[in-house]
Amino acid sequence: MKRGGNGASGARMAAPRVAASKGVAFSTSPVLAVRLPTWRSRVVLFALFAAFAALAGRALWLQAMSTGFLQQQGKSRYERVLELPATRGKIMDRNGQVLASSLPVKAVWAIPDDVLAEPPAKLRALATLLDMPEADLRKKLDSDRTFVYLKRQVEMDVIDQIDKLDIDGLDTRKEYKRFYPQGEVMTHLVGFTSVEDVGQESMELAQQKTLVGATGSRRVIKDRLGRIVEDVGLSKEPHDGRDLTLSVDSKLQYIAFTSIKDAVQKFNAKAGAAVVLDVHTGEVLALANWPTYNPNDRSKLTGEQLRNRVITDTFEPGSTLKPFTVALALDTRRVTPNTLFDTTTSGRFVVGDRTIRDTHPHGMIDVTTIIQKSSNIGMSKMALAMPPQEMWEMFTKSGFGQAPRFGFPGAVAGRVRPHKAWRPVEQANMAFGQGISVSLLQLARSYMIFARDGDIIPLSFQKVTEKPLGQQVISAKTAAEMRVMLETVVNPGGTASLAQVAGYRVGGKTGTAQKFVNGRYSQTKYIGNFVGIAPMSNPRFIIAVMVDEPSGALHTGGSVAAPTFAALAANALRAANVPPDSTVTEIITPEHPLEE
Amino acid sequence: MTAKLNIVLSAALVACALMVVNGQYRARHLFSDLEIIQQQARQLDIDWAQLQLDQSTLGKHARIEQIAHTDLNMVALTPARTQYLTESAK
Repeated sequence: MKRGGNGASGARMAAPRVAASKGVAFSTSPVLAVRLPTWRSRVVLFALFAAFAALAGRALWLQAMSTGFLQQQGKSRYERVLELPATRGKIMDRNGQVLASSLPVKAVWAIPDDVLAEPPAKLRALATLLDMPEADLRKKLDSDRTFVYLKRQVEMDVIDQIDKLDIDGLDTRKEYKRFYPQGEVMTHLVGFTSVEDVGQESMELAQQKTLVGATGSRRVIKDRLGRIVEDVGLSKEPHDGRDLTLSVDSKLQYIAFTSIKDAVQKFNAKAGAAVVLDVHTGEVLALANWPTYNPNDRSKLTGEQLRNRVITDTFEPGSTLKPFTVALALDTRRVTPNTLFDTTTSGRFVVGDRTIRDTHPHGMIDVTTIIQKSSNIGMSKMALAMPPQEMWEMFTKSGFGQAPRFGFPGAVAGRVRPHKAWRPVEQANMAFGQGISVSLLQLARSYMIFARDGDIIPLSFQKVTEKPLGQQVISAKTAAEMRVMLETVVNPGGTASLAQVAGYRVGGKTGTAQKFVNGRYSQTKYIGNFVGIAPMSNPRFIIAVMVDEPSGALHTGGSVAAPTFAALAANALRAANVPPDSTVTEIITPEHPLEE
Repeated sequence: MTAKLNIVLSAALVACALMVVNGQYRARHLFSDLEIIQQQARQLDIDWAQLQLDQSTLGKHARIEQIAHTDLNMVALTPARTQYLTESAK
């Protein structure tokens, strides 16, 4: 290739061979003078240039075009994004006792093929720890998927034992479990959450938005040992859910719960419910249902158990509605407590095509006695003397047929038909609580107008800090007169003599409703109810009790609900340290209490 | 003159660089300690929630009543057996 070199060596070697035939120097032979074409060097030059250009292009590509992607990839090799979990808020009663609280637990999941490759002894131990039959465990593992939840919400001490088994393909994921220490006693108020920590019932559902927290996240650099050494960029702080303080008093709740449970069992009833309201603040102090369920173990839950009969069920209350028509008549000065009504000695009174009956003929009685003895005829006569519109307004102002405003899932409005459609017999019926449907909570709240000075205040399921504003329904004077009448109901001559409470003056009204079955009033299925106020000298509680389908010998409000009220009120007043306002310490009940 | 200045500046540069390394190292150590302590705080929060829960479970009225009745043979009090004291009475 090197022409110069060839030439030089040719010259050196040429000297001894000068006597060549034609005298032409070997080295200068034009045949041997190799002349390479110039394009070859250019190709090399170009190749080198192209290689450099490719490098420059690649550098440009990496540095300028895909730099973001590459930096991302780099970061992901040493940076970690941590999820910062937020805890769901606690639910507490008015005294700060915890009713619902979330604790971290773990979900156990598996890669089926890996786990099945483990020795059977380990699987057996795992099944025992997870508290499930081994067959069930194997069934769960018999899956094509690569991710199978074996069990969720496993508590930490169990997780520690599972870790010790050291099973391949088994892993855990952090989650929260909601615990309800008060269990079945409080569950109709508190409700429960799903495994995903979402409220499903009652306050857990109603207050989902405030209870739930916002999870945060942060980007960090971890060192070789997995320790966090630096925060990178902005972190998003987690916000725990807000704690919720309910109005309920767990002591009163327990008293209400045991009273209603005893009543349902004693009177062989289908169900029962009780609610206790604070007269001054409108707070719901207790709300009990039977049957109930344990929110910590909901595997055998039925609709019957879930039903919140205080709030979501309506019924025709019966005589517990009588005081409202009487209050209206008193308030509009149509009657005084001493106005006499002839309830006829025969015990029958015909309105339109229907006969209204009293269980006992009462003869000439005054308004107070109509309430005390719960005379349907007296009520009908009083009601028919008033325009339907005024009665309708009275019911509506007392909250009947009105959508409840206390934010409880499933709360019902009840039904009061528009007054224009009322026929006289219906108007008479409504005066004693038929043809109108209410919830027990509405019924309890409506008695505010008697327990307070004629006004009604909104209810609250959360602790109230400031006194609520009331809406006047009847005058304070009428309310006071009504309280006197309601107190006569529990006297030995009234329908609720069994509602008496030792040491305290109480008052209230009984109600017995026939259930509406297949379009007609049943003669065998009743709802006995009682709404009472205690203590009478300075009302503090309104207590409403409902016993659904008592199937024993007793079924009236006075015989099933009134004694339940008495038991509940006696314990509640004592528990709340209410000073006694009566010197009566021995209860005398007539041998044959008056029935409605 | 310039050579001397260069040497001094280089030395200063190296010193600064070492201090940065040291500072970063210490910062990371402190940060990791902080992290551990925050972890402890979270654990204490969980323990507190657990204890509150235990208190509520053990202080259940049903349990108290049952123990009072069966273990301690206590009976509910009635107004008939109660002497009420009022502040005005002497």
